[in-house]
Amino acid sequence: MTTAKVNGVAKRPSGFQQALAAKIFHWVNIISVFAMMGSGLQIYNANPVFGGRAGLHFPSELLLGGWLGGARHWHFFFMWFFGLNLLWYGIYIFFTKRWKNRYVGSNDIKAIRESSNAKRRNYAFHRIVYTSMIPILLLALLTGLGMFKPVQFDWILGIFGSWEALRIMHFISVPIFLVLTTLHSLMALKVGEWKLVRSMFT
Amino acid sequence: MSDLMRTRRNFLALGGMGMLLAGCGRGAIQGNIENTLYTLSDPLNRTFEQLIFSPTKLAQEFRANEVNPKSLLINTAEDNTPTVNLDQYRLTVKGLVNNPLNLSLRDIRALPYKSTTIRHICVEGWDAITQWGGVPLVEVLKKAQPTSEARYVFFRSADGFVNDQGQRSGYYETWDMASCVHPQTLLAYEKNKKPLPIENGAPIRLASPIKLGYKQIKWVTEIILVATIPTQAGYWVDLGYEWYGGV
Repeated sequence: MTTAKVNGVAKRPSGFQQALAAKIFHWVNIISVFAMMGSGLQIYNANPVFGGRAGLHFPSELLLGGWLGGARHWHFFFMWFFGLNLLWYGIYIFFTKRWKNRYVGSNDIKAIRESSNAKRRNYAFHRIVYTSMIPILLLALLTGLGMFKPVQFDWILGIFGSWEALRIMHFISVPIFLVLTTLHSLMALKVGEWKLVRSMFT
Repeated sequence: MSDLMRTRRNFLALGGMGMLLAGCGRGAIQGNIENTLYTLSDPLNRTFEQLIFSPTKLAQEFRANEVNPKSLLINTAEDNTPTVNLDQYRLTVKGLVNNPLNLSLRDIRALPYKSTTIRHICVEGWDAITQWGGVPLVEVLKKAQPTSEARYVFFRSADGFVNDQGQRSGYYETWDMASCVHPQTLLAYEKNKKPLPIENGAPIRLASPIKLGYKQIKWVTEIILVATIPTQAGYWVDLGYEWYGGV
């Protein structure tokens, strides 16, 4: 990592530098979310949310865990990394006051409406995209907790109204997350090319 | 009654078969990964789940018109529904108790009756709002007077099946004491206001909103109070599902 920083600085004075915390968050999040999605779809297949046992099943290429019990072991292992990663990063964002200027604000909305500067507009769009990933990750966590402990955390079930609604919202968080991740990656490429994407992971 | 009798040897044979079943259909590497993840996370998960479990927090109760009888699917080990002779049926309670019990159906029905209309949740993901009627398990345990060492409760059922070697064995489960004494944990003999059907576990089954379906053993014949979780902790547990299985 030190080398990458040195290289980045040496080659381009304007090279991107990310906080170590942001890099750790991105790594842990991307690995745990994909583990959660693969095992989640395997669990889904035991009784599809849409259509029950006769419903559409996901192909084995997308699945992790091999069978329902195995997938649950994956899911309930990675849930700790997924959930605690969101928690510590949230605390970090709060105490370092990054929440004040790292996420979408009224200035971005104004830029999209009024600015003729394409770069500023792209930047604003990107900030909208990655900011909206946070509520989706929290939705996945909240609905997951609600299904994990529907009696102990019955207030979560209360928010969503029914067991079926909880299952659907938990499932829906996956395609929304995938779309936003794709947009986030594409916008990052557009805003800062490959070196911006690379700066977040190395 | 002899159908209900099983020997220790048959129990051991089932364990071996369980491991065989757990291993088939999946690659060795995949099996190793899944076992590693389970070994690493289950002690934490189990501790966390028992920590957040409140023995006095009641699960939501539903109105009679919210019951959907069709949603409760039948999952029976090896699709074999046992034959239980109701006249000869006895529920025995033994192990770490001061007052071992041997109850007939008449004795069980004479104990305090309780009705719950709760959400039954299957490990597969579906739910079924169901009415159960029966005696709270805590009443039976109180009658048996557990000793201070009793921390877990082992249940054995008449859910018999025959394996490849012709050996008969059965469904069994182990619960933690806190879940057993929860006020909504019943030894049920009534489902949706009618006598419990045989495929749902008649004459007596466990029914509770705080455990997944596979923990809710049907056709209960024996209750044994123990100090530690036995090596053979449960039918599905020995096939690879997590032991606690609480919701």
